[in-house]
Amino acid sequence: MSDETLLRVREVTTTFDTPQGRLTAVDAVSFDLGAHESLGVVGESGSGKTVLSRTIMGLQPRRGVSVTGSVLLNGIEVVGATEEAKRELWGRQVAMVFQDPMTSLNPVVKVGKQIDEVLRVRLGMDRAAARARAIELLEMVGIPAAATRYDAYPHSLSGGMRQRVVIAIALAGSPQLLLADEPTTGLDVTIQAQILNLLDEVQGRLGMSMILVTHDLGVVATRTSRLVVMYAGRVVETGTTRDVFARHRMPYTRALLESSPKVSNPSHTRLAAIPGRPPNLLDLPAGCAFAPRCAYATDRCRNERPVLEPAGEPGHLFACFNPLSEPVGSPT
Amino acid sequence: MSSSLELSELVEEATETADGRRLGVLFWVCVGWLALNLLAAILANVLPLENPLTQNYNAINAGPSLHHLFGTDDLGRDIFSRVVFGSRVSIEAGLGSMVIGFGVGAPLGMLAAYRRGRFDQVLTVLMYVVLAFPAIIATIAILSFWTPRTLLKIIVVIGVAAIPLVYRVIRTATLAVATQDFVVAAKVQGASDTRILVRELLPNVAPIAVSFLLIGVATVVTLEGSLAFLGLSVAPPTPSWGNMINESRTILQLNPWLALFPSAAMCLFLLSLNFIGDRLRTHFDVSEGKL
Repeated sequence: MSDETLLRVREVTTTFDTPQGRLTAVDAVSFDLGAHESLGVVGESGSGKTVLSRTIMGLQPRRGVSVTGSVLLNGIEVVGATEEAKRELWGRQVAMVFQDPMTSLNPVVKVGKQIDEVLRVRLGMDRAAARARAIELLEMVGIPAAATRYDAYPHSLSGGMRQRVVIAIALAGSPQLLLADEPTTGLDVTIQAQILNLLDEVQGRLGMSMILVTHDLGVVATRTSRLVVMYAGRVVETGTTRDVFARHRMPYTRALLESSPKVSNPSHTRLAAIPGRPPNLLDLPAGCAFAPRCAYATDRCRNERPVLEPAGEPGHLFACFNPLSEPVGSPT
Repeated sequence: MSSSLELSELVEEATETADGRRLGVLFWVCVGWLALNLLAAILANVLPLENPLTQNYNAINAGPSLHHLFGTDDLGRDIFSRVVFGSRVSIEAGLGSMVIGFGVGAPLGMLAAYRRGRFDQVLTVLMYVVLAFPAIIATIAILSFWTPRTLLKIIVVIGVAAIPLVYRVIRTATLAVATQDFVVAAKVQGASDTRILVRELLPNVAPIAVSFLLIGVATVVTLEGSLAFLGLSVAPPTPSWGNMINESRTILQLNPWLALFPSAAMCLFLLSLNFIGDRLRTHFDVSEGKL
């Protein structure tokens, strides 16, 4: 862990008031993120990853949502901050790369103009300087003929190009923290790798911190230094990426690892799937949320909720009554 | 030689396919007709037209001739000149009331769709209450009592009646884009609400607004015509298309020209507006699939 903490998340709980009752999408999540560090947040669909990243951004729909706990970004509290206060953070301290580049660019505005926005409004550049900087940013994210592309509309760019533009927009304000929420979901596999490598590269080059939210452990394996594994809105295991891959203790983490395809497997190997479905967040079991799907579950798991406890290695925590003995499996 | 010829043919064909997004000849004919109407209405005073109020007792109910292109009415007034001057009333009513309708309805609709919440709920219910009144009956009732009738009053009444309609269309159009990621993306870049409304949402809503504006003008022109036919528009002897059609009613057999020309003028004017509005709507409807 880095000595300088950029982001401190403490006991963050996000609940939604729905017609069916109160839904806890993020449940008492805590972690720290150091400067220049990259963190992976992994979990299935519906595990609260996206809500967590939006909560860290301070983005909530206006009604029916309540957030408790604390998100300190550079010492500034995000939870409960006014829109004006958050607007000061957005763009320059923290920026976001969205899931789907098809919808995160305005279809009727030239891509260059969409980058200009931050430069002119937040950094107060004049038109010419903003244009030059926007072209520079487009070049940095690997867009060929950047000066021409400045005047292109999003529909004339491919999905991968668009995501590069989205990244350029996020980088425009030189943020200290970049939040990438499943940045490759809408893209081809080959393009996915390019975009992830690009994110990795700019993160290192600009010395930013990055949170990479994904359901794909393969994505975070080589690109993040630490991992947070989420299930049903809670952190079930966290530690350095190396520890989580090599010495994971939580059966859910293992199940996630086993469900990603491996080149080393003989051909025609059936891909292991996690049995059952993610739990209904409106009707969580009394004990461990993963118990109904877990091969190791005992009566205790079904009745009592495990809390995070240290696993031995520094910073490695897990929440399980029947942890896997180490070492298990081999790192992917 | 032949291969290069084929190539040029191919290129031509390709360009033609790309022209699928062109607006077409009919569109430009309509634009030209509207422009002609507008110009004539603006320049009516300086054009070599007869005074629309001057009565020529030597030519009453005369048919079209070189002297009176469209003929004269039962008071010997020149129909051509009255059609041109009459277009002023229609155009002023159409544009004026749409300025009111869009001036109030469009910003409110965008704001409601963007802010949502209580503001949106209250405003939408309020608009729907206004919308529940049959507009034409309400307009007739108000104009019957609000005398003396001037064009300005007619514009205000129709314009206010148009506000909820514009509000509803613009609100729906904005809703479709306001929930998309690029709005959130702009927000987390630190863009202010005003900036998001003007820079992000307005360009997306503008095409729909423009086509609705054109069709709105057409509707108001019809409405003004109906009011005039009922004697509720500008008072005679000021010519308006509706007034003229109304006047022709009793002498239809004697002088069909008096009914024909203002009707034709109004019909072509409306047709052009509707066609342009419709064509623009399909033209701006750029969905991924069509590219």
